[in-house]
Amino acid sequence: MTIDVILIIMIGLAGGLAVGSGFVAFIVVLGVIPRLTQLTKTMKSIHAYELAVVAGALTGGWVSLRNTALYLSKYLLIPMGLFSGVFIGMLAAALTEVLNVWPILAKRIGIEEKIVILLMAIAFGKVFGSLFHWVYFVDH
Amino acid sequence: MVFIRLRNRVQVHPNADVCIGDVAQMIVNDAELIENLKKIMIYKIKASDKNIVIIDVMKVVKAILDFDSSLDIQTIGPTQTIVEVVYKKRNFTSLYFALVWLLLFIGSALAIMNFHEDVSMQQVHQRLYTIITGEKNDKPLLFQIPYSIGLGLGMILFFNHLFRKRINEEPSPLEVEMFNYQQAIDQYVILHENKESIRRVHDD
Repeated sequence: MTIDVILIIMIGLAGGLAVGSGFVAFIVVLGVIPRLTQLTKTMKSIHAYELAVVAGALTGGWVSLRNTALYLSKYLLIPMGLFSGVFIGMLAAALTEVLNVWPILAKRIGIEEKIVILLMAIAFGKVFGSLFHWVYFVDH
Repeated sequence: MVFIRLRNRVQVHPNADVCIGDVAQMIVNDAELIENLKKIMIYKIKASDKNIVIIDVMKVVKAILDFDSSLDIQTIGPTQTIVEVVYKKRNFTSLYFALVWLLLFIGSALAIMNFHEDVSMQQVHQRLYTIITGEKNDKPLLFQIPYSIGLGLGMILFFNHLFRKRINEEPSPLEVEMFNYQQAIDQYVILHENKESIRRVHDD
């Protein structure tokens, strides 16, 4: 019995460690946090941002595993949705960065001034695809 | 005494004569001499050169010594110049551009939908709705519409195109990425277009 409990604790801890370090590695590789500090010029608060990521992951993990219900106003979901969208959008943008899509595209097509318009195509495509998915696609 | 520093990259027209003055900066304490040196032709662009020619500093030094072998030449900076032959700008039709735009638009729309399905985001959003409000909702659009807008906003924010007027001189990641790519290409052509920089056994 005690052995079982200790074993379960060990397995849980090990699983959490692996997923947690993977999550951090993912965030670090994509460099979203450095980009945010660069945009807002808050290099000094980088440790607070680390804490924010860890606290967010912990809260998310906890509430989703425990079936918590907070009984709060549903309008709280609007800012949450916006923030989570910005986060995913930045991840997606960082991912295209890592894959080196833009420089090659610009060179191949030979347009370096119009690259902003193509960037907009991707951003609008994401917004459109996402809206289409939630409003229409999920029902069919 | 002649100080020369080659430029990194020079653009010329097809069939142009490349003179030393085009590819290098020079400091000479004799105003007449510098004008003469600048006019020395070192390369004539041929059709077979396609669009990249590498001028090595050795070639420039040799041309100057041929002109006056008593000059003392000091070279500073890059040891070769990339001469880019600019042909008449390819006519970039707006149809072509529209096609690329559509490709990216539809591609990214589909990619984001696949991503949502892949990570079962609909269920996550439904769960989140229940966590916050305690009620069930199959289509938590209140969360999902701001999310969709934020998605585009996040991408634009990352590339910093929202604030066109930059507060500081720092380049955006896109500009840095373009620069790195250009540097890598330059390094490649310097080694591969310049016959003197690599000597292979089977070439002789």
